[in-house]
Amino acid sequence: MSFEPITPSSAGRAGKIALLVLPFLAGFLCMLLSFVPFSRIFGVEIAPAFGLIAIYYWAVQRPDVFPPYGVFAIGLFYDLLSAGPLGLWALVYLIVFGLVVSQRQLMIGRTFSLFWLGFLVSSIIAGFLGWVLATLYFGQVLSPAPVLVQMAATVALFPVFAKLFEQLLRRLLVQG
Amino acid sequence: MIFMVTLAAALLLLGRAETYVVDRARQVVTDLAAPLLELASRPVSAARRVVESTDQYAYVFDENERLREENARLLAWKEAALKLEAKVARFEALLNVQVDPSINYVTGRVVGDSGGPFVETIIANVGSSQGVESGQAVIDSDGLIGRIVATGSEASRILLLTDLNSRVPVVVEPSQTRAVLAGDNSIWPRLEFLPALASVSAGDRVVTSGDGGLLPPGLPIGSLVQADDGFLRVQTFSDRSRLDMIRVLQYEFPREIDAQDAPAALQPVTSEVQSEAPSASTPAATPTTEGGT
Repeated sequence: MSFEPITPSSAGRAGKIALLVLPFLAGFLCMLLSFVPFSRIFGVEIAPAFGLIAIYYWAVQRPDVFPPYGVFAIGLFYDLLSAGPLGLWALVYLIVFGLVVSQRQLMIGRTFSLFWLGFLVSSIIAGFLGWVLATLYFGQVLSPAPVLVQMAATVALFPVFAKLFEQLLRRLLVQG
Repeated sequence: MIFMVTLAAALLLLGRAETYVVDRARQVVTDLAAPLLELASRPVSAARRVVESTDQYAYVFDENERLREENARLLAWKEAALKLEAKVARFEALLNVQVDPSINYVTGRVVGDSGGPFVETIIANVGSSQGVESGQAVIDSDGLIGRIVATGSEASRILLLTDLNSRVPVVVEPSQTRAVLAGDNSIWPRLEFLPALASVSAGDRVVTSGDGGLLPPGLPIGSLVQADDGFLRVQTFSDRSRLDMIRVLQYEFPREIDAQDAPAALQPVTSEVQSEAPSASTPAATPTTEGGT
């Protein structure tokens, strides 16, 4: 551990800023990705919650560079863009983020499959919470099928995104 | 953290009121995201076309055979349609019927999925700068898919028939029974407010009735199916998962009906004819799906 100079070099400062901004940006782009009609290529209609992957990943690996207001912003924009109840996914994502941060010691430094299993549990919680809130919001029992499909697709795609984030984190740490 | 959770919960409660600020925020965000989504959806569209064309190659002979048969059948229909058209034109001239105005439309492309599991909306790349307004009907090549609920300058949001909040007045042909088509987030919207002794059966065609004046009458929607849960549901003609090019109809309800000079002999019944005309005549814009089940 070397001593940090009192006035950090511009490169170091840029690295710090990148470490604060890029994880959020990655999460934000993931959230936008949910709206790109990929699944229509194959004639099905599934929009995986990519934003949740980003939130879970950073909650386990580096919650210090992914603050709650970042989670809130991603959830809020997701709600605004999807025209659903405003604040629904913001609330769900925040709760899941809080839970994962409190349990991150279980998953840190363990095997990847455990990391993945943790995501499975998190997405079940997120899906269930979302469904309960939406049911209360609309005042009628909604079909749980769309949420189940969405979460299943998200869990299936988790490894791809986890690897991408891993690359990003490694680059950032080397730079910073 | 606690503050954020409280804020989100507060928003959830406030959002229930659907205030102007919320609507405006949605529009701004949609407008900002639309160019990005447009960019991202281009390769998706291209990939789709590749997948679809390979599908088509696989079935090209079957398809050709089917199309020949259909063509033969349609030629007979065309003959009948031409005769009827001439006949109707003659009758209309005779009775001095108020014909529905022709409908302008804007064509656009679907650039964004609904994203969330509790809403059935899509984003299209046409907006108020092209004359798109809230409430206008949206169709694809097969039939009605929904209506515009919010517009930005370059993008607009379409509420699909399957959404929880979608209610569309419809007519079940051929018995001309009126009902309301209500979405419930399942793939088949439900038929509600059907009269108790309505003589409808599975397979009947469902079209818009034009009641309320928001949607043009006679747009094809789908055919009736009897669902397992006891409800009558509608299987839409348009395939929701393959939506690509869409058309926004700029229909204006004919509010101001010009005084017409009816032939003197028909004078006593003119008022009756005029009041029935808008709902009884179907627009000429959609004869293509006839017999295309």
